Amino acid sequence: MRRISILLLFVCLAATMSFGGGYQVGLHSIRNIGMGLIGTSLSNDASSLFYNPGGAPFVNEKWSFSGGISFVFARSTFQAKDVNYQATMKHELNLPFYFYAAYKPTKNLSVGLAVNTPYGNRLSWDDTWKGRYLIQNLSFKAMTFQPTISYKFKDIVGIGIGLVYAYGTVDLNKAIPLESASGDGTLHINGTTGHFGFNAGIMVHPVKGLSVGVDYRSKIEMKVKGATATFNVPQSLRAQFPENKVDVMLPLPANLDFGASYTFGKNNQWMVGINLCYVFWNTYDSLVFDFETKTSAVGRTANPAMYESRLIERIGVEYKINNMVAVRLGGYYDPSPVPTEYMNPQTPSVNETGITCGLSLYPTKGLCIDAAFLYLMGATKEGTYSPDNFAGTYRTGFNIPGIGLTYNF
Amino acid sequence: MKKILFIILSLTFLTACERKIDEFASNANGINFSKFVAVGNSMTAGFADAALYRSGQQNSIPNIMATQFQTVGGGEFRQPLIGTEDGVGVNVIPGGVYCTSKLALKIIPDVDCQGTPLGTSSLKPSFVLTNPDQNMLKQQLLAAPSVPGPYNNMGISGLTLLAAFMPGYAAYNPYYGRFASTASSSVIGEAAAQQPTFFMLWLGDNDALSSALNGTDIQITPADTFAKYYPMAVVALQQSGNNPKGVIATIPDITSLPFFTTISKQLPYNGVTLNAEQASGLNILYTMYGHSDIVWHEGQNPFVYVKSNGKWAQMQDGDLFLLTVPTDSIKCKGMGIADQSAQPFPKPYPIPGKFILDKTEQTNIQTAIAQYNFIIKGVATSQNLALADMNAYLKTLSSGLIFDGIKFSTTFVTGGLFSTDGVHLNPRGNAIAANYFIQAINSHYGCQIPQANITEYKGLVFP
Repeated sequence: MRRISILLLFVCLAATMSFGGGYQVGLHSIRNIGMGLIGTSLSNDASSLFYNPGGAPFVNEKWSFSGGISFVFARSTFQAKDVNYQATMKHELNLPFYFYAAYKPTKNLSVGLAVNTPYGNRLSWDDTWKGRYLIQNLSFKAMTFQPTISYKFKDIVGIGIGLVYAYGTVDLNKAIPLESASGDGTLHINGTTGHFGFNAGIMVHPVKGLSVGVDYRSKIEMKVKGATATFNVPQSLRAQFPENKVDVMLPLPANLDFGASYTFGKNNQWMVGINLCYVFWNTYDSLVFDFETKTSAVGRTANPAMYESRLIERIGVEYKINNMVAVRLGGYYDPSPVPTEYMNPQTPSVNETGITCGLSLYPTKGLCIDAAFLYLMGATKEGTYSPDNFAGTYRTGFNIPGIGLTYNF
Repeated sequence: MKKILFIILSLTFLTACERKIDEFASNANGINFSKFVAVGNSMTAGFADAALYRSGQQNSIPNIMATQFQTVGGGEFRQPLIGTEDGVGVNVIPGGVYCTSKLALKIIPDVDCQGTPLGTSSLKPSFVLTNPDQNMLKQQLLAAPSVPGPYNNMGISGLTLLAAFMPGYAAYNPYYGRFASTASSSVIGEAAAQQPTFFMLWLGDNDALSSALNGTDIQITPADTFAKYYPMAVVALQQSGNNPKGVIATIPDITSLPFFTTISKQLPYNGVTLNAEQASGLNILYTMYGHSDIVWHEGQNPFVYVKSNGKWAQMQDGDLFLLTVPTDSIKCKGMGIADQSAQPFPKPYPIPGKFILDKTEQTNIQTAIAQYNFIIKGVATSQNLALADMNAYLKTLSSGLIFDGIKFSTTFVTGGLFSTDGVHLNPRGNAIAANYFIQAINSHYGCQIPQANITEYKGLVFP
């Protein structure tokens, strides 16, 4: 438990980062990260609360705690179209984390709480870079709190539902093409919000060794009401850019996940699983900024995003060497939801092909120390954000190590 | 635990490789850009804000192009830089010249006709130096540029096609006089003597425009003269020794320049509102002065102005006010109607012709430009040169274009393209024009010259 409290310390320092297509983050259990991020059909520990609440009652022990953190080292490079110009996104350390606690008052009933960071986007370009009138830096974080209740019928079917409360913060800086002798104008937006959604899932164990799960996480409309908007423009134009409040609307898309896994071999040493995750990105058609005090220069702007729904494919395998050690391997393909003509430096999302590996050590009964490493091959995507006529090629890569701790008893 | 963390962190820093991306692949495609010479007028010179000043020249269209040429073997691009940043603008007045500094946007308090402040203020182009020392400005203009010639940028404010051939032109135009190699040089001769390997020629605006800027259509170079001299200018550069390639450009239609459109959007041509009594009073007054052909009536009336032939006339729909028109005199002194303060009696007070470009003048100038452009396009084809159709591009820009999140149009001040004089581009506008030239060169010669990053260039600077 002392170790869990160390992890909780990290929770306080945490920030998240775009990882996964768009601004969805897929890092919710170090064990599962090691297996290509699968999880919808698994019920090893309390992480089922997030991946599929229907799986939580299948955790054997009365109590289950799981926590972990990933260290995202991301790098994006931009090459402008037709211009001899490159920019590199500043190196920022991002720390998506999770903490799950599940308790079974009876054999078939499970209650629990999941806290994690399923959406986020944090990036920082140089203040004077070519795309500064689109974005200089952006930090968007959503932390979710999900109290959950689940029940299983016999040992065959489990169902569960959680109420999701998402707490979001947004902090954005961009330049405005109105220059004074000291340089560009600027806009800074800062605000917080909280909204509700739900997470429901069902898990079926039809025959020995086979597990099948379906999970649906609802869309959450993150409307940041009354964020602070601070303009810094030349003195002669200040009347048109008053101190202002702004409503920012950004949806967290719904997910429909399907997973199947099969355990086999001597002492059930082997496990192989797949996941198909459909992300309803089409809900994100535009990023809306609605300023409270409207002038000839500031009003309601909708920046088209035109995201397209995407299917993520994941596969993973686990091999338990003995009672003390398990190793894992996996891979996934997460296609970018951003159409080529809406590729935006706010979210330079590329088609991701990731490979993962993982390791668990079981020093004593019930305790498990998890480690995982995710390597994302640097993928490139050429595109233009046509509403702003900003064109170029983006190349993004990640190295993501992570550690976690699970305790079932 | 902390140790494990530390090890993981350090390992990851080591393995977090740079994600490399291919750079822009420049390719000259066999074209020699080592000696680039540009010939043109104020647009080529880097003249802006109604003056020649140092940073304006540094942001000239050919200098921005030359910077990009460096990736395809381009050499030094020497410009006749003036020393002053406040600038010098030369205005011909009766009996000589009057020099001004450059213009910049300033916050000017609004006043009524009695000079009483209204408590509001407006953003207006104003000279950065008020009542400047004429001798100082003339010295600054005529001082030899700090680096010796020859100069790759042979852009000269006010240059016409015919003047480019004139030996001794230095004596007539101080913008050339300040850096001409000898008193008897001609602009084309001096450009050809540099034996360019690549040239840019953007000439002809002033053959139609210089009179337009003074509100008339006189001194327009006839089309047949243009047809004779334009190919001569091109051939003189082509036969200068190094068998150069080049780019030539068409002449923008003046009616899209903010200099001609801005005031006309704010001030209607028939902005004189009269009651019956005032109208009959004016009719008597105008008849007294021998202008009974001008008839005033109750209601809306057009302003009166002096035509280029000296006759007075009432304005018509479509006549353009120039940016320089003294709107204060129209508002407060009766300009365009009658000077009520004249002694002993009020006097008719037409708007001087130099502030109005009427429809006839516009038509004559537009016809000339259309003819010039036809000739220029023909020469581009016959001489196998790249053509930058700046006339077509300015039309596209006038309906609005967006680059890198910046919206551009030909609207004065807010359009982001023009400098405060409403005719010449600001540095960011020059970068957009330079990119258009580069596109024309790339498409004609099959080369890949990178375009300028327009966000590196300043737009209009607001106070």
